[in-house]
Amino acid sequence: MKAPCVSLWLVAAVFFLCSVRARGLRRCLISMDLHHIEEAFQEIKKTIQAKDPFQNVTILSTSETLHRIKPLDVCCMTKNLLAFYVDKVFKDHQELNPQILRKISSIANSFLYMQKALRQCQEQRQCHCRDEATNATRIIHSNYDQLEAPSAAIKSLGELDVFLAWIDKNHQGTSAA
Amino acid sequence: MDWGLLLCFSCSVIKGLRKNGWLVREESGVTGVWSKCLILLAHKKEYESLYMSHIWIPSSWCSPTEGPECDITDDVTATVPYNLRVRATVGAQTSAWSTLQHPFNRNSTILTPPVMEVTKDGFHLIIKLEDLGPQFEFLVAYWRREPGAKEHVKVVKSRGIPVHLGTMEPGAAYCVKVRTFVKAIGRHSPFSQAECVKVQGETLPLALALFAFVGFMLILVVVPVSVWKMGRLLRYSCCPVVVLPDTLKITNSPQKLISCRREEVEACATAVLSSEEPFKAWI
Repeated sequence: MKAPCVSLWLVAAVFFLCSVRARGLRRCLISMDLHHIEEAFQEIKKTIQAKDPFQNVTILSTSETLHRIKPLDVCCMTKNLLAFYVDKVFKDHQELNPQILRKISSIANSFLYMQKALRQCQEQRQCHCRDEATNATRIIHSNYDQLEAPSAAIKSLGELDVFLAWIDKNHQGTSAA
Repeated sequence: MDWGLLLCFSCSVIKGLRKNGWLVREESGVTGVWSKCLILLAHKKEYESLYMSHIWIPSSWCSPTEGPECDITDDVTATVPYNLRVRATVGAQTSAWSTLQHPFNRNSTILTPPVMEVTKDGFHLIIKLEDLGPQFEFLVAYWRREPGAKEHVKVVKSRGIPVHLGTMEPGAAYCVKVRTFVKAIGRHSPFSQAECVKVQGETLPLALALFAFVGFMLILVVVPVSVWKMGRLLRYSCCPVVVLPDTLKITNSPQKLISCRREEVEACATAVLSSEEPFKAWI
């Protein structure tokens, strides 16, 4: 009779540790005011999306890529997507309109700040990347590379609302990093 | 070189911050020159410095502007180092760009408590805070001024509009202090000096309540009595009841009265005839 009790206790302990770890990862995530980033994007959204030459194709939302991300992978996925936008999308997009450039610059710099906040978690080894997050990131990069850089960049910019909504949903109620 | 333009820029220094906000200010030893200058301001944030070093972004409101101060809050939208550059234009002449000596990060802003006005409206504790813009929130703490009193905290986001904090107990003093909070940079100011208000005790309200009660009771008695009295007056005035004395009261029916009267008349007549016979006999 002791063996089932011990195994039950072990399962409970493992479950508890996993939930603590998951909560720890969630708590590791950034807590910042996304409102002004969303506001900045809303001001340029129509113009950006109107410039997208391939309206029936998506880069972020293939097979609900983001929505299938589990809480354990949120930190890694956020880090990867921020890097995707900062290192690729904003660089590949050449904006001539000063008003739109101002808003894109504001969003890009806010993403830089968020990257710095997440880096602290990485240093504490609280942002481990599992296969699920790595595969999802690979899919997004693959979707991007199938288009020419300027078209892919403008499309990714137009899908910023998807990324921002995902961050807001997954980082809601977390304490500041 | 045009003297005005030289003055515009020979002493130009960009100051990146001021109390509770971000301003660019040109400094010059001579006033009255600025009306001739047109200032162009551009900024380069960390992202541009790292990835697009050739790009400077014109300021929203300060390019162009007529100096010497300009509000760049709408440009400083991320908590990253900003580099700013400015130049002046007078007529066809343009100066060289002048840049900040050290990049500016908005999280270096020194926040101060806002101007606060504490008032009471009856027993209600009201506070009014100055409007510092949409980036600012205020943490208001208020407590009853007595040992061991609990401190209540309220987050106020409304700007320049009176806010109701709570209801005070009569005869007690309440104190309020406030500090600024800017969520974008995660910084607080220190708390302001506490301001206290006192609410008057219960004596006056008790007297008023007593007076009101007595008045109410009086009304409760006087009104029905008055109504009754008026009713009686009206009855007597409009529809008086005639009270006959007993001697005039008719107890029998009229026919009986007439027949009675006939009998009396016959009796009278008989009595009269009997008195007339001797008269006839005399005649």
